[in-house]
Amino acid sequence: MNNAFIIGQYVPGNSLVHRLDPRTKITVIFFFVFIVFFANSLASYSILTAFSLASMLTTRIPVRYILKGLTPVWFLIIFTFTLHIFVTKQGTVLVEIFNLKIYSGGVIQGFAISMRFFLLILVTSLLTLTTTPIEITDAIEDMLHPLKKIKFPVHELALMMSISLRFIPTLMQETDKISKAQASRGVDFKTGSIKDRVKAVVPLLVPLFVSAFKRAEELAMAMEARGYRGGEGRTKLRELKIMKLDIAIFILFAAVAAGLFLTRVY
Amino acid sequence: MRSNRTLFLIEVAIFTALALVLDILPIAFKVWPNGGSVSFAMIPVFIVAFRWGIKGGLLSGLLWGLLQIAFGASILTPLQGLIEYGFAFTLLGLAGIFAKPLQRALKDGKSNLAFMYVMLGVLIGTSFRFLAHFYAGIVFWGHFAPEGQKVWLYSFLYNGSYMLPSFVLCTVLVFFLFYKQPRTLLGAATS
Repeated sequence: MNNAFIIGQYVPGNSLVHRLDPRTKITVIFFFVFIVFFANSLASYSILTAFSLASMLTTRIPVRYILKGLTPVWFLIIFTFTLHIFVTKQGTVLVEIFNLKIYSGGVIQGFAISMRFFLLILVTSLLTLTTTPIEITDAIEDMLHPLKKIKFPVHELALMMSISLRFIPTLMQETDKISKAQASRGVDFKTGSIKDRVKAVVPLLVPLFVSAFKRAEELAMAMEARGYRGGEGRTKLRELKIMKLDIAIFILFAAVAAGLFLTRVY
Repeated sequence: MRSNRTLFLIEVAIFTALALVLDILPIAFKVWPNGGSVSFAMIPVFIVAFRWGIKGGLLSGLLWGLLQIAFGASILTPLQGLIEYGFAFTLLGLAGIFAKPLQRALKDGKSNLAFMYVMLGVLIGTSFRFLAHFYAGIVFWGHFAPEGQKVWLYSFLYNGSYMLPSFVLCTVLVFFLFYKQPRTLLGAATS
């Protein structure tokens, strides 16, 4: 398989974080995102940072790789920091350059907000770094299960997600094949005015869509021939199971949260 | 063929997969630093919406948002995540309210009318998606920006600058596709 066909961020591994139940990871991250906004003292920030860094190191994914994945948000983090430094006018004046005064309050607040930002992004990206999209799909299906009571099509949605995930590599290969075929006939995708480039896309899209319709029809027929008739009573190849490890992580996280609320300044 | 439930599910799933594939193609024009791009990715969602009506469109949009989460979306606060990945893409499916009249217009060969329906549908879908991103921009920046900044203006310009070209691009291409290949809208692929 061509490397270019791998999308998403998942890095295969067998670390503790990889082995956790995806539901555990999603739940912990959800509450982490929630409690980050309650941190307001040095001690509470330290607890959060320690937890995030410890999780990051446990994944055994190279730190440089993780940080590289965060590149698009570095700009945002630096921007936020700079904005706070120049806008907040509290505390004592630290530096004064050409009438621009930098206050200690601004530096502290800028640092706190950027740190909050960084921790949020770091921890949420750990989920997709250590969990395959198919695991996330299973977890979403399981966690949305209560919504079935209000007739929300949970099973259908999960089935569709798995089918989409299965077909993404296939469709990418197909797109590649068609665009090469059209390029060999002289279609130019890369240069020319915007109008020309849009026009060039049409001979790519038409065969792509037509073949997608064909694939959909064949798959639907194959599924019905094998007796697919919806979610009721369907069994699974992969079953999710909460292990002792997951319970331990929940307890650890509860301790982190408790620590945060204890060290918070009111 | 249109009432086949399994075919409906599969078709929506495969077309949503196409949306993701088209999003990462090098032919898209990606110049916006913090996400958002003028790409062809919304086209499959609109095709589903015009083929299967509002329900198919909403389902396809929702699925697209969920898939983006599974592949690693930037979610910073629960509210922002819900709006930008839960609502924004789902709302694209509202284009489907013109599915029936569009199909009739195309069958009767009234191409001007068909173009108008495509444009209105795409306009409604992109407008609602824009509103969701616009609002999330405010909610999100509200958390991080100092008070007294014109966050709404920034959000408006940022999101508008890629949404408007996307709207034009999708309208033209979706209409062109239906006009040249009516079977992509009306019938099964093999017929």
